[in-house]
Amino acid sequence: MSAALLGIGIYGLSVKRNAIRILFAVELIVNAANLNFIAFARYMNPPRISGQVIVFYSIAAAAMEAAVGLALILVAFRLNSSIDVRKLNKLKG
Amino acid sequence: MDLIPPDATFVVLTTITLLGAIMALQAKELIYGAISLAVSFIGIAGFFVSLDAPYLAMLQIAVYVGAVVVLILFTIMLVRREEADKDESGETGESAAGLWIAGLLAVSIAGVAALAGPNLPTNPPTADLPITQLGSVLARSYPVPLIILALLLSGALLGALVLAKVDR
Repeated sequence: MSAALLGIGIYGLSVKRNAIRILFAVELIVNAANLNFIAFARYMNPPRISGQVIVFYSIAAAAMEAAVGLALILVAFRLNSSIDVRKLNKLKG
Repeated sequence: MDLIPPDATFVVLTTITLLGAIMALQAKELIYGAISLAVSFIGIAGFFVSLDAPYLAMLQIAVYVGAVVVLILFTIMLVRREEADKDESGETGESAAGLWIAGLLAVSIAGVAALAGPNLPTNPPTADLPITQLGSVLARSYPVPLIILALLLSGALLGALVLAKVDR
C-alpha cells in the first residue's frame, strides 16, 4: 500500500511539469513514509510510541515545506509568469 | 506463500487513498486535483485511526486537509487560471519512462516486503498507546527536537512571508 503510494508519488515527481503537481507528488511521498512509520511502530512487540513521535515531527515539517514551496511557486510565477518547471531554466532573475 | 485476506476496512481505505492520489496527479483541472489530494489524505488519516494513532489522524486532517490543501487552493487561485490548468505531462516517451521507474520501485519494495512477510507478526500485539503517553514521550524524551522544530517552523513561515512579499 505504502509502496504503491510512493510509486504514484515518484511517477508524479518525474513526469509532471506543473510545479504545483510536483508539490502534490512530494506530499504523497511524505505521507507514504509516515504511514510506514506508524504501521511498523504499531506492529512491533511491544508497540512503540516513537513512531508516532517521528510522524508528529514529519507532519509539521511537511506542512512547513508546503508553505515554503508554495511561496517559491508564487515568486517563480511572478518572475517568469509560468509555473512550468521546464521553463524555469533561468538562474539569473 | 499464503497471504492473509485483508479486512474490509483496509480495502476501503486503500481504495480511497490510492484513487485520491491518482486523481490528484491526473485530474484535468488543478482544483479537482487538490480536492482529490485532500481525499487521499483523509484516507491516510483513516489508516492512522486503524493503527491506534487517533491523535495523529486528527493532526493529519487538521494540518493536511485543513491547512496544506487550503494553501494549495489559494495558490492555484493566485496563479492565473489558464496557467494553472495548463498541465500537460511531458512527451509520451518521457511519461512512459516515469511510469516504468515508479512501477519498478514500487514492485521491488513490495517484493522485499513480501519476502520479509513471514517474519513479521500478522496480528499486531495488543497494547494501548494512549495520547498521554505520546505527550509525555514528546516532552520528556525528545524535548530538543521539539524546540528545533518550533524554531524551524517559525523560520520557515517567516521565510515564506519574505518570499511572497510584494516589493513596492
